[in-house]
Amino acid sequence: MKVKVVTKILEANERIANENRRIFDNAGLYVINLMSGPGAGKTSVLEKSLDASTGLRIGVIEGDIAGSDDAERISRCGAPVVQINTGGACHLDANMIYEVLGDLPLQDLDLLVIENVGNLVCPAEFNLGKNMKVMVVSIAEGHDKPLKYPLMFQESSALILNKIDLAPYLDVELEKIRRDASLLNPKLKIFEVSCRTGQGLPEWIAWLKEQTLKLS
Amino acid sequence: MHELSIAQNIIDAISEQCRKSGYSRIESVNIRIGRASGIMSDALLFAFDAIKSESIAEGAVLHIEEVPVSGRCSECKSDFIVQEVYILSCPHCGGSSFRIVAGREMDIIDMEVS
Repeated sequence: MKVKVVTKILEANERIANENRRIFDNAGLYVINLMSGPGAGKTSVLEKSLDASTGLRIGVIEGDIAGSDDAERISRCGAPVVQINTGGACHLDANMIYEVLGDLPLQDLDLLVIENVGNLVCPAEFNLGKNMKVMVVSIAEGHDKPLKYPLMFQESSALILNKIDLAPYLDVELEKIRRDASLLNPKLKIFEVSCRTGQGLPEWIAWLKEQTLKLS
Repeated sequence: MHELSIAQNIIDAISEQCRKSGYSRIESVNIRIGRASGIMSDALLFAFDAIKSESIAEGAVLHIEEVPVSGRCSECKSDFIVQEVYILSCPHCGGSSFRIVAGREMDIIDMEVS
C-alpha cells in the first residue's frame, strides 16, 4: 500500500528552529550564525567585536567538534558564553542550540552570536532559528572559495574577508573573490578586515551595531 | 557531508508515521532531492542502508528523485533549467537578477508500507 508522507526531511530541525526563533523574539534578541572554514578567524573577529565599545550586550554560543579554547577566549572578553561540543558532527543543528539557551541570560542580551563549527559546507544547510548568517573567509584560503562553496555565499548576508593585511604576500586575486561572491549573491555586504592591524573592523562593527539596533 | 544525519531524519519521520498509523513494515520510500541541496545521492543511499537495520525501515529501499536547478529571470522574464548545481546568471539574457524556483528540495514524498 502506498502512503503519502509529504514532509521536509529536515522538518524536525525546522520545528525546533521555529521554537528557537520564538524564544529569540520574546527576548528581543538579534541573532547571527557566524560561519567559515577552519582557521578563517571567526573567533578573532568575534573577540574584536566584543572588545569594541559598541554598548551592545553580546552573548556567544561556541560550536566546535571538541575542546573549549574558543569559549575561554570569549570568556576573557567578559561575554557570557556556552560551549557546544558536537562530538564529531560537522555542523550545529537547531536542537543543539535549543538545549543551551537556558544557560545564557537571554533577557539581558541585545545580540547572540552563534559561532558554528569550522566548515564551509554543512552549516549553511541547517536552520538554527537565526536572523542572519555571516561568513568569514581569510584571503589566504584562495580566490576560488565562492565558486567552490556557493551555498554559503548565497545564504549569507555579510562576508568578512579577513587577514587582508596578508594581501601583499599572497597571489590571491581579491577582485575575483569580490566579483564571484557578488555574482552568487548580489545583496552580499562585503567587509575587508584584518584582526591583526585593525583595518576595516570599525566598518564591520558599525554595521553589526546598526543591524542589531534596527531590531530593538 | 551530513548525509548520515539526513538519513536518520528520514528514518525518524517515516517510522513516526508508521507508528501513528499502525503499519508494521516499510517496503520502499520515495524522496526528492534538489541538485543544489548539497546532498550526494550515493552517500545518502549508503548512509540509509547502513542505519536502517533494527528500525521499521529495515527492509526498505530508498528511491531518490533528483530535481534540477531552475530559475525565473526578473529581467527577461524567462524560465530556465540548468545542468549546473548553481545559477550565476540568466542563461538567456545574462542578467544577474533571478529567482531560484527549484533545486533546493529535501522532501519525503511517499512510502510503500504493509
